Amino acid sequence: MSTSDQRHHLNSMLMRESLLDKELMSSTERGLRVRRMLPEAHVIKIGGSSIIDRGREATFPVVDALGVLLDGDDTLLLSTGGGARTRHVFSIGIDLGLPTGVLAQLSIADALGNAHILGSLLAPWGVVAIPPEMFGHLLPLFARAVPGVIFNGDPPYSLWEHPPSVGRIPPHRTDAGTFLVAECFGCKTLTFVKDVDGIHEQDPRHHPDAPLISEIGARELQARALPQLPFDRVLLELLTHARLIDRFQVINGLHPERIAAAVRGEHVGTMVYKD
Amino acid sequence: MKSEILTDLGQRLISESLTDEALMAATAEGPHVRILPDANVVKIGGQSMIDRGRSAVFPIIDEIVQNLGRHKMIIGTGAGTRARHAYSVGIDLELPTGVLSVLGTFVSMQNARMLHFLLAKHGIPFIEPIQFPQLPHYLAERDAVVFFGMPPYTFWQQNPKVGRIPPHRTDTGSYLISEVFGARSMIYVKDEDGLYTADPKKDKHATHIPEITAEELIAMDLDDVVVERPVLELMRSAVHSRSIRIINGLVPGNLTRALEGERVGTLITAGGAS
Repeated sequence: MSTSDQRHHLNSMLMRESLLDKELMSSTERGLRVRRMLPEAHVIKIGGSSIIDRGREATFPVVDALGVLLDGDDTLLLSTGGGARTRHVFSIGIDLGLPTGVLAQLSIADALGNAHILGSLLAPWGVVAIPPEMFGHLLPLFARAVPGVIFNGDPPYSLWEHPPSVGRIPPHRTDAGTFLVAECFGCKTLTFVKDVDGIHEQDPRHHPDAPLISEIGARELQARALPQLPFDRVLLELLTHARLIDRFQVINGLHPERIAAAVRGEHVGTMVYKD
Repeated sequence: MKSEILTDLGQRLISESLTDEALMAATAEGPHVRILPDANVVKIGGQSMIDRGRSAVFPIIDEIVQNLGRHKMIIGTGAGTRARHAYSVGIDLELPTGVLSVLGTFVSMQNARMLHFLLAKHGIPFIEPIQFPQLPHYLAERDAVVFFGMPPYTFWQQNPKVGRIPPHRTDTGSYLISEVFGARSMIYVKDEDGLYTADPKKDKHATHIPEITAEELIAMDLDDVVVERPVLELMRSAVHSRSIRIINGLVPGNLTRALEGERVGTLITAGGAS
């Protein structure tokens, strides 16, 4: 329709309004549910530095544990991190004066490499790394056709990555990309497989006696401002604003039997919930 | 293991946690290269410009053409009315923010294609994100490219704090391109003379603000602002793109004045040191 303000509008509840208006934004919240696209799928991220970079000693038992799950009824959406190679390309890129968005674009290749490594090992189950360009759009098709798929955990932010408030490392890395897939598709569980038992009061690699935090709220954890976390800090922000995912678990993949337990909903690491 | 190839920072990045604040602060040191320091990012509004049709679009296309040979322009497009319609239908059907982001991208792409066809006879291409490696060449050869302003986050778009609409839309996507390339300027072509104390379309007493810092603007906590709020947040962390200008594209000559660096519209600065 054409109106007095010389713009051609389409009739809808958002027509003619500024999408920057606070009142309008709240109106898109009220009384509306969000549908879950893949409510039965489990999202599991296999750490780059923490698992794959350790080679066969850590990776083969994890692959065996995933194989047992893939033989069952569960659908697994598996992601990976870039690990040591991402750290290396960051250091070279920074030395060359390149910005955050370029670092983000470069690092996608490392997680994709690890996705292909994991895909080669899970090939007997028909589980392969899906190219990022088609992953999102075809995911529901894959989830119905095969017991599992692998994606590089990176969100496709690339050149459009946000400059971080401190330094120039891309803030949305593979933990964030994995979280956003689980949230958008409304998946059943979200598990981060690392090489520590969960979140400790201090870095357990330097303080072996540091107590484990069994469960904690995202806001509470943010307020604690621990000097280090076993996952990207931005996850706490993402969980706070999540609509469908209300918790995730961080577990130790060096005890691979915990992966199946986590998928069953058992508490075997640190549970971080939306508070 | 001490490596002789890695820098000290490289050694720390490989052995320490990327959640460590001191390590993150260290990554700010060293040079920051501006990749395309002569380029201007120009965002043409969707609802504010393109949805008005030829009365608004033909003059701005003419003005872009007049500036070829004088200024390099990376031209992003807004989404506008059809995105609002798609968001509205999508929300009613209980779809998540990531899916709405996909829908918004399609509309912004339609607008980019239309501007591209109007500029095609001048050899100006439309590029999708995957073609960005060719952008510097097109810019060197033809002085302009057209891209869709929506950041390619698709299903990975984050939820807004309130509501369901994707928070990072075409203002943000265009801004991030100006930051990553270290562009000379970021110019938003809209249908208002910049920033007002209230929406001038609704409030006759709204007064114009010629220059303001992002921090002051955030502190004013206006019900409605002229640019997506995440842009103001991102500006405060930005290394290169420390100011943005918002101009009224319905007034002939404004784009040229903005490209020349003249005071027109509203200048929003990051304020303070980066």
